[in-house]
Amino acid sequence: MTQEFSVVGKRITQVDTAAKATGAARYTTDIKLPGMLIGRVLHSPYPHAKIKKIDKSKAEKLTGVEAVITIDDTDRTLWARSFRDMPMAPSGSLQRADEYILADKARYVGDPVAAVAAVDEQTADEALDLIEVEYEKLPFVLDPWEAMKPGAPQIHDYAGNNIAVHLTPPPFLVKGDVEKGFAESDVVVEESFFASKQVGCHLETQACVASVDANGKITCYSPCQLAHPFRRELGKIFNKPLGMINVISPFVGGSFGTRLSCHNEPICIALAMKAGKPVKLVYTKEEDFTCIDTRTPHYFTIKMGFKKDGTLNAFTVHTTTWSGGYLSRAQLAGGITLVWALGHYRCPNTDGWCDVVYTNTTLSGAMRGFGNPAVMWGVEQVMDMAAEKLDIDPLELSLKNVKHAGEMANLGLPIESSYIDDCIREGAKRIGWKEKRGKRKGGRARRGVGMATMTHCSGAWPLLIEHSNAFIKFNEDDTISLTVNPGSPGTHIWGTLAQIAAEELGIRVEDISIVTGSTEATMFDLGSHASRSTYVTGNAVLEAARQAKAQLLERAAKMLETSPDELEVEDRQVYVKKAPEKSISVADVCFDAIWNLKGESLNISGKSSWASHYNSVPTAAYFAEVEVDTETGEVKVIKFVTAVDCGKAVNPMTVEGQCEGGIQQGIGYGLTEDYVINKDTGVVESDNFTTYKMPGTLDMPETEVIIIDKPDPKGPFGAKGVAEPGLVGIAPAIANAVYDAVGVRITDMPITPEKVLAALEAKSAQKD
Amino acid sequence: MAEQMVKFMVNGRSYEIPIEPHMTLVEVLRDKLDITGTKLSCGAGECGACTVLIDGKLALSCLTLAMTAREKNILTIEGLAEGGNLHPIQKAFIEHGAIQCGFCTPGMILATKALLDENPNPNREEVKEALAGNLCRCTGYVKIVDAVLAVAEEIRKGGS
Repeated sequence: MTQEFSVVGKRITQVDTAAKATGAARYTTDIKLPGMLIGRVLHSPYPHAKIKKIDKSKAEKLTGVEAVITIDDTDRTLWARSFRDMPMAPSGSLQRADEYILADKARYVGDPVAAVAAVDEQTADEALDLIEVEYEKLPFVLDPWEAMKPGAPQIHDYAGNNIAVHLTPPPFLVKGDVEKGFAESDVVVEESFFASKQVGCHLETQACVASVDANGKITCYSPCQLAHPFRRELGKIFNKPLGMINVISPFVGGSFGTRLSCHNEPICIALAMKAGKPVKLVYTKEEDFTCIDTRTPHYFTIKMGFKKDGTLNAFTVHTTTWSGGYLSRAQLAGGITLVWALGHYRCPNTDGWCDVVYTNTTLSGAMRGFGNPAVMWGVEQVMDMAAEKLDIDPLELSLKNVKHAGEMANLGLPIESSYIDDCIREGAKRIGWKEKRGKRKGGRARRGVGMATMTHCSGAWPLLIEHSNAFIKFNEDDTISLTVNPGSPGTHIWGTLAQIAAEELGIRVEDISIVTGSTEATMFDLGSHASRSTYVTGNAVLEAARQAKAQLLERAAKMLETSPDELEVEDRQVYVKKAPEKSISVADVCFDAIWNLKGESLNISGKSSWASHYNSVPTAAYFAEVEVDTETGEVKVIKFVTAVDCGKAVNPMTVEGQCEGGIQQGIGYGLTEDYVINKDTGVVESDNFTTYKMPGTLDMPETEVIIIDKPDPKGPFGAKGVAEPGLVGIAPAIANAVYDAVGVRITDMPITPEKVLAALEAKSAQKD
Repeated sequence: MAEQMVKFMVNGRSYEIPIEPHMTLVEVLRDKLDITGTKLSCGAGECGACTVLIDGKLALSCLTLAMTAREKNILTIEGLAEGGNLHPIQKAFIEHGAIQCGFCTPGMILATKALLDENPNPNREEVKEALAGNLCRCTGYVKIVDAVLAVAEEIRKGGS
């Protein structure tokens, strides 16, 4: 059944774009408060060093300097930038608080050691030069494999062999007997992979503006995606009740998951406390590359066993997760790789484990897809390898093994809806799969096509609570305020939520004012992560709108002398369903409700606390066509097709935007973005856009986004999440296309020309 | 360092302010004049977020010493709309979904203006080349290029 919509499904222009197109939009880096000081941070130049002594007296004496802080100016409270003690499901996923806001011992190059606040940036920089730190350099380890060896430098006292935690899959993903399963398989493929330390590359660098008022109340402007959980962590760090902290989220110049963690905010607040004045702390791009979370890198060994007919029979994943000097989100990112991998395909025998290993490197956190793009880089290449061995088209092998509605999804709940078959078939048509696949030719420039699939999530339930609130109030006309706090990372979530409210209330999107961005003015919202906001906050908005609508119709029924269930609202008119000529405008109803001379005044409103008790998984299929230059090893993506099943697309233009952006990030992940750490010094060498190559306009292929657009039973108006699915399977589809073109398989991300050439040479040597 | 008085126009308004010789144009615009629509990201001329037009020519304000803009006309994103009416390029970016987080947008829009002022009839490749110095992490550039091609056509039709 297709539902008719008046607002949902329309390509509506976004509510916040005029401000962004005119320069009026205010980001954290634009905030200026009266008397505001400028903060700067002194970072460790060494990857591992004892901090024996810090002399800050010269810096403090410099004219214009108002605060200099080290660990001695703090409470020495351990904190977790990814937030601790969030009630979570079992399997060891609680996050350990393992760092101080200023280091006791340097554990990576860039570890914050001291900070200053001064009247201007120049003075602050001069003050940094005057801080004298006596380091005792310690042996360091950059590589997780080296870090696990006996005798490796110990980074945290509690973690023997630097293993922070050993994780196993949730019980529902440990099935059957994998040894027996592999023994009874006809084809077994086992391969090892590396998925890299991708950088978020949001253009707005990490920033914070903090002030502390005379009563000790903290106001913190921050780009953090999870404002309410972040406030709770600040309460623990600074020992304050939550009512004494307000986190304000201005526009955010890109998030992509790395802003799930907070970064320099606690330092900024500590400076503001010490100085007694507002402080602004903005990282440079080099600091961004060195001192804030990257995507968590992992090494995988993936083994899949199949019956002759292609039925997947046994599946194991072993993950070695490369954490930085502190955990940030590495623990969660590692554990979840098992869930994404083992939950995607139907398989009777599954198992895995994950070790999370500290190293003296920049922290490993979240980035778009949170472990799914990393592990699917391996899983989808193993599928491609198996298809060749089985002599089955990879497309058919996927179709045979992907799960469908009713089967248990990755997070342990039934799949509410899945149109992944449609994604695979439609995507294949648009790339020209049948005509192009397996047609390897000679010559210098060789073309090939490859594919990948994935299942993701709409929020993290049941691993984590998925709780959002929405409040709707009608003004004394036909406009409303919608109070929500999902953040504003650029995904156009405000517009999506406005479309949901407008659809239910029979009003226009432009009549909705979004009230958001302050933890003290909004009710709880977990924030923006795990492709949740359309689904979870969207359901909260829909429920609030239903309540407001019920009040509206009740008032209108009195005025029209009928009963509410006889009424409907559309195009800002309430009318009698059976006699549409009998109607009253929404504006008249709302005016009468407030300016009521009979003493029956009511501000028409609706409020909903909504928590997920199910999880509708989005699915997608990705198809790449590439051209490989066999003389230079260069890989060029010619065309990319993403076919996505995100339920009903609330705004197709927004969905396309998410998928097109995902293609850029995926091409970077697969081909060009290479995080390079100097082996002798631990210094990040790829700390700018010249050495760390994120794709520009000229690196983008022709793209096509196919939206399957079939409603899900649980999403608001049938919508599922879509932000992360835009990225998940891009890189493995490219790797599989490279194999189709030239017959070499690159398992070590990214696919650089050097690796392709070396593989081609090894291949031709093998032939000789 | 000694400050010097420097006079220039920003968005049609004249300013005469003391500037330290080492200050870049983006610092002067953002920190001294509170014209914050121009964004600072890489600070090294790699990303294009700080793009402005100086006497109609594209300039990276993070690499431009403010002193060198003396007596010149600077256009920032705030100066593009006229009398409350959005410029056609701004409208096209909004209507085509070319804006996500918006941090690259001011630079993208001004780079587009510089392109269309020189070449009112660009093809897709020429648009991509003209915007190759402006990085975006959200959109994959697809809708940005679409918006530029659409507005080019609109300006051609309207302007003829």
